[in-house]
Amino acid sequence: MNRRVATIRVKLEKSAAPAPAPRAPAHKRRRMGAWREHHARSFRASLRRLAGRPGATALTLLVMSLALCLPFLLWLLLDNARALGGHLDDARGIGVFLKPEIDAATARSFADKLRRRTDVAVVAIKTPEEGLAEFRSQSGFADALKVLQSNPLPTVLIVTPKIAAASARATPALVDELAHDKHVDQVQYDALWRQRLDAILAFTARVAGVLAMLLGLAALLVVGNTVRNDIVGRAEEISVMQLLGADRAFVRRPFLYTGLWYGALAGLVALLLIAGVEIALAAPLDQLTSSYGGRFTIHGLSWVQAIALFGTSVMLGWLGAWIATSRQLRLGRPQ
Amino acid sequence: MIKFEQVGKKYPSGQEALSELSFELDAGEMAFIAGHSGAGKSTLLRMVALMDRPTRGQITVNGQNLAKTKARHVPRVRRGVGMVFQDHRLLMDRSVFDNVALPLEIAGCARGEIGRRVRAALDKVGLLAREAAAPVTLSTGEQQRVGIARAIVGKPPVLIADEPTGNLDPMLSAEIMKLFAEFEQVGTTVLVASHDLNLIKRMGKRVLVLDHGKLIDDFRPAAAAASNNAVARSARDDYPPSPASATNGEGQQVGAGQDAAVPPLSPGQGDA
Repeated sequence: MNRRVATIRVKLEKSAAPAPAPRAPAHKRRRMGAWREHHARSFRASLRRLAGRPGATALTLLVMSLALCLPFLLWLLLDNARALGGHLDDARGIGVFLKPEIDAATARSFADKLRRRTDVAVVAIKTPEEGLAEFRSQSGFADALKVLQSNPLPTVLIVTPKIAAASARATPALVDELAHDKHVDQVQYDALWRQRLDAILAFTARVAGVLAMLLGLAALLVVGNTVRNDIVGRAEEISVMQLLGADRAFVRRPFLYTGLWYGALAGLVALLLIAGVEIALAAPLDQLTSSYGGRFTIHGLSWVQAIALFGTSVMLGWLGAWIATSRQLRLGRPQ
Repeated sequence: MIKFEQVGKKYPSGQEALSELSFELDAGEMAFIAGHSGAGKSTLLRMVALMDRPTRGQITVNGQNLAKTKARHVPRVRRGVGMVFQDHRLLMDRSVFDNVALPLEIAGCARGEIGRRVRAALDKVGLLAREAAAPVTLSTGEQQRVGIARAIVGKPPVLIADEPTGNLDPMLSAEIMKLFAEFEQVGTTVLVASHDLNLIKRMGKRVLVLDHGKLIDDFRPAAAAASNNAVARSARDDYPPSPASATNGEGQQVGAGQDAAVPPLSPGQGDA
């Protein structure tokens, strides 16, 4: 019978909780205020705790931020390499260097012959004059070229094969044929290199991804372990709070804020590290790019990327703390 | 308010901490649990606070069947039970005020209300002037009084204390026990475990005597006012009670106790 009374009472309590009594809203508002206050208090207290042991906090932050910035730096490098690779997009064409003795008319007729082939899409003719002009404008050797008495450049045909070069693994048969033609001095085919570069970039991207995951996991464990140590050190406090009727969320809150702080601060340190690396590399990179006539530029972390890095860091910190507290709360019973 | 029905507790090691334990405490009643160490006093209190679960029997606290309390409702049950520990268990990195405020914070009280109630509780234990102090700067007796203020600040219907005077000298102990008796007067159900029989005797309250996990005596001063001194003396002289006197006491007292102690539980009782 007592059991029945108890269950009735439990039911009553259950049904009473959501039913809005006249003063329920005010009561609820008060509770919300208290809840917000506890959040604010946990927010401040956890920061104070971190500041209270600066040495340990700095070490944790450094390990975490290094783990975070390494994959980002690798990714940045990759992104730049990819942008550089973009300049080689036209490498799909076959460069056909005609023999120096071929004159313009023969070259045109040879080009017409090639255009009639089914496996040729486009044939462009670059006369020696055009070639010299291009060379002069791009290579930075303008002064040296002035010394030349005559134009040493041959006529060049740029032949674009009809098959999708990207899908073609092997060298098209056309390249072989052209190489053996009597008009042709030399054939330059860059698509293979382009494919190789693409493969290398894709592989590096995958390496960066795997590395990012492993290092992200490391950052998670660093925070988790730090928070776990914190929890072990405050076991008595947690026990007392639980005995006073604190639920999991209440006990967990300050630790989650600790994780959040670690994440946020480590994110900032990681951004500073990346900025430092950028500054350290800026001068030599400038020299390198200017030697290429400024045809490409090295770009750093964009705002979006910086925010993504920071967000990832905060999330990892929070998650690490959450895992550590969940584990501890599941294992530990108040004594 | 607190009801044990045939409660048994057996640890995985096979050690039986409590067996066949039945008693009931009404709302606003105060009782002591006496017995030598290892008799099961702490185990009994731990089960009231849901720190342990019985392996047999039913426990009802504050109208709630503890066996049916799910893990996520344990905090709510604990908020209805004020706890005082032998070593007070104050948080040393917080001020006296913050220590006493902790249960209210947990319960989600507003700041203004917390201030008012913490001061009222500290006033009650006579430590209003020390609210800003750090617990380490207080004497042992004062620390224990802060512990009591923390236990009662949330106005829990049930107050339990495990050897609250274990570390105190006799004068301080008497003072602390008087404090507990005051809470009984405002309608709180108070259950105090103690091995200090002299002190218990002087308090003149109901005493549950445990021995090897069994309830061997349920002594009520009101029911046996005439033989009060005699029983108390025999309890002290014969401590731990010999099997002969235990049987004697059990037959006499538990029988008498059951009449008074098992009224039909009314729905309103849990809110008292």
